[in-house]
Amino acid sequence: MTPGTATCQLQLEINGGRRTADVDPRMLLVEALRESFDVIGPKIGCGTGDCGACTIALNGEVVKACLTLAVAAQDAAIVTIEGLASDGQLSSLQEAFWDHNGFQCGYCLSGMLFAAQDLLDHDLHPDDGAIRDAISGNLCRCTGYEPIVNAISAAAQAARSRIDKSRGSNEGAA
Amino acid sequence: MVSDGLLGAAVRKQNGDRFLTGRIEYTGDLRMAGMAHMAVVRSTHAHARIVAIDTERARALPGVIALLTGEEALGLAEPIPHNLDPAGLGGQHAEIRCLAVDRVVYAGEPVAAVVAETAGEALAAARAVTVAYEPLPAVLNAQDALAPDAALLYPGWATNEMIAGETADGDFEQAALDADHVIDGELRIQRTSAAPMEPRTYLAAWDERAQRLSWFGTTQNPHPMRWVLAVALRLSESQVHVVAPPLGGAFGLKMHGHPEELLVAILSRMTGRPVRWAESRAECLLAAGREQRHRYRAAFDADGRIRGIEDELVADHGAAAAGPGWGMAFVASLAVGTGYDVQCCRVTYRVVVTNRAPWSGVRGFGKESANLLMETIVERVAETTGLDPVEVRRRNLVTADRFPYRTATGLDLDSGDYHSLLDKVLSKVGYTDARERQAVQRAAGRHVGIGIAFELTPEGADIPGALVGGYDTTTVKIAPTGHVTVLTGVTSPGNGNETAIAQLVAGRLGVPLELLDVVQGDSSLCPYGYGNLSSRSMITGGGSALLAADELGQKLRTVAARMLEATGPDAVVLRDGFAILVADEGHAIPIGAVAHAAHTLAFILALGIDPAMEATCTYRPPNIRHLPDEHGRISPFASFSNAVHAAIVEVDPETGVTVLRRHVVGHDCGTVVNPAFVDGQVYGSVCAGIGLALTEELLHDADGVLRTDGFKSYLLPRATDLPQIELLHQCTPSPFTALGMKGAGESGLGGAQAAIFNAINDALRHRGARIDALPASPARVFAALAQADQAVAA
Repeated sequence: MTPGTATCQLQLEINGGRRTADVDPRMLLVEALRESFDVIGPKIGCGTGDCGACTIALNGEVVKACLTLAVAAQDAAIVTIEGLASDGQLSSLQEAFWDHNGFQCGYCLSGMLFAAQDLLDHDLHPDDGAIRDAISGNLCRCTGYEPIVNAISAAAQAARSRIDKSRGSNEGAA
Repeated sequence: MVSDGLLGAAVRKQNGDRFLTGRIEYTGDLRMAGMAHMAVVRSTHAHARIVAIDTERARALPGVIALLTGEEALGLAEPIPHNLDPAGLGGQHAEIRCLAVDRVVYAGEPVAAVVAETAGEALAAARAVTVAYEPLPAVLNAQDALAPDAALLYPGWATNEMIAGETADGDFEQAALDADHVIDGELRIQRTSAAPMEPRTYLAAWDERAQRLSWFGTTQNPHPMRWVLAVALRLSESQVHVVAPPLGGAFGLKMHGHPEELLVAILSRMTGRPVRWAESRAECLLAAGREQRHRYRAAFDADGRIRGIEDELVADHGAAAAGPGWGMAFVASLAVGTGYDVQCCRVTYRVVVTNRAPWSGVRGFGKESANLLMETIVERVAETTGLDPVEVRRRNLVTADRFPYRTATGLDLDSGDYHSLLDKVLSKVGYTDARERQAVQRAAGRHVGIGIAFELTPEGADIPGALVGGYDTTTVKIAPTGHVTVLTGVTSPGNGNETAIAQLVAGRLGVPLELLDVVQGDSSLCPYGYGNLSSRSMITGGGSALLAADELGQKLRTVAARMLEATGPDAVVLRDGFAILVADEGHAIPIGAVAHAAHTLAFILALGIDPAMEATCTYRPPNIRHLPDEHGRISPFASFSNAVHAAIVEVDPETGVTVLRRHVVGHDCGTVVNPAFVDGQVYGSVCAGIGLALTEELLHDADGVLRTDGFKSYLLPRATDLPQIELLHQCTPSPFTALGMKGAGESGLGGAQAAIFNAINDALRHRGARIDALPASPARVFAALAQADQAVAA
């Protein structure tokens, strides 16, 4: 950091790891993540909360990281798109996006994946309208949304059959 | 012997897992040691003389490394070379500098640039630069710009007309005399922007010791980009290395000619530091396109047969630029008439400069506007004759037995079955039932409209004089490990062509996709190519990849035949990772072993053939014609994708709000390599067309300053704005291109826009209202209804 600019020390838990960096107090959280913590998954598409490319989970809540000052996130636990796969295994939602060509350039993926996961965490039977509502805070210029809607629908279906299967095997065990 | 097992398969995108886990590095994700950041000071005036630039306060701010004004940049760089100089086609040349000198000609024009340690410090310093302007009279629309006493943007020009041209066949006045009906009208298309999710971003690093420039950035065309930098910086092209990292969408915006492409390079050379610039959304939305006015006449008979069309297109370009944007008006003029059998066509175009930010390339590249115009005319022919609009299309579309067909504007349409595609879409939408339902709904006071559009999308362009050619080149090589690398001159803005090209090569060489990499976007590694534009990547990149794969395959089969003691290459097939003896499939060698043997035993196994285990081939589509015909017409397109759209809308007469209830599209782009990617292109393009029809518009205040400078005011379609898009396909292969591929990418936009526009006018017709301008905003629709009511009352 340049002499002359007052900086703040920001401590965050990012994708499970404790991290500390000096940040310019004028920085948005997405800027700090990208420039000070070198976490590049969240993208900047508008800087005004309209496109969702910077979406993260902040203390468990899905938020747009361009709508928060970095210093306001002191000690927060953050999950970014880099943290959505566990042990190198894509989540079933990520697999569904891949299978259904649910992205082209990929720039909007943070927003689409977090919004979709948030939906599926609350509703495993979303219809077309519910899925479209869930991702309506995110912009995509490539896909026309149709393949994204299909991917989310398929992920919900897969989650339902996993539950049915585990119920079935539990009943079998009982 | 070749196998094409992967042709037509919906293979998943290469490296998809890296995209899905945030590990793909776009330009803005690259980091270099010592990297500094640029911010741009932009004009706040539409037209003004720069009296003074005070940089004192900015230079004193923390972190500031360098500051550059237009005056200072004069000695550091040449003007930006034009992507497509209008002077080459008889228009006016404008010298475009990376920073304004003495005078600004649009609000938003770069005036100075600042480099600082961080992006925030650069921005703060840019805000601290004070520019004193002496305002000059500004012309903010094409009509004012063409007035006899209009202020001139460029003193060397006699008028504000950048270029004008005419394409004509037949005698329209005679057609008008002979016809039962002649209508005239005006169509106004709004100013819109490409708006990819990733704004433009550039990173330049000048190596003083080596005297070389490394340049990373959002460009669709890395090799032409290298030429721009070399010419402007007075370097040889070998001193410049251009890399295009994965793009976050492009849609025509990222074609070369932007001032900031050069600015980062100048400032890196000046400071000795790598310099990065990341565009803000407000800056990105300065990039304009499409704003034009058509005045048309159509001559037709009572049976709906169109005898002739006359169109005068006036494009409101904004200030001159080094990019190819103006070419969209030229292309629009060529595409008028689209896929209709109209023998007589007279089209003139004029591109006018005004004091607003210039046109940049944008998806559709003029063809969407021609489709909108043509579909508007067809709809009005139906209205006048009382025929169903579908019937008018049936009677005028070029029939399947007439291809190849030369249009009145000189385009050589390759193939198609437009009538069959129309029938498929009508059947899918249930046209007859929909009309019956509409009558019932109308009786109940509802404003439901049905709109049809045929769409022709000329693709794979090569405009004479532009440094983006209609052909391209691919190298395919196999390493001793058996690993295959494909180096191609085409690039991908995210559409998946790298995966589709991999499919083609893997299919021809019989190697698994996992053993194959496609390298794009590197001016040092890849053969000289023209990148991504005009839906050309599969025609030219795929076509050349097939040629190169087959040439390398021939070598591999020759070597394998010697190893298998077979008669010759034709006795061997490459499949499933093996070179297999056709006569006895039990005899096979892994392809990797063949490659290794060819590399290590070339003086035994590769005698008599070129031993290099690689091939480089160029594919030049045969259907492009630059030599003018007897009427002086050219046909600068490789292929002609086509589509039919049907839209059902409902307009709320109390608010003017339009809701799109259904959208059906039938698409024909010939042979499809990867159906998932083609579907993705069509969905995306249709969605963009919906935005053009309903919401997107760049608006300025009375001083010419852009007001729609973010996504709260420039309204892109969201998922909730669209119904499920119902997509069906037809395949009419091109007889000219490799495998019969046409282009996918731009097709969808113009047709969707036109079908929705027609549907809205269909919904308003019984009230005696119509709109002749886009977008169909609630205010515009409401005003049309109010005006119609007033007319009735009077």
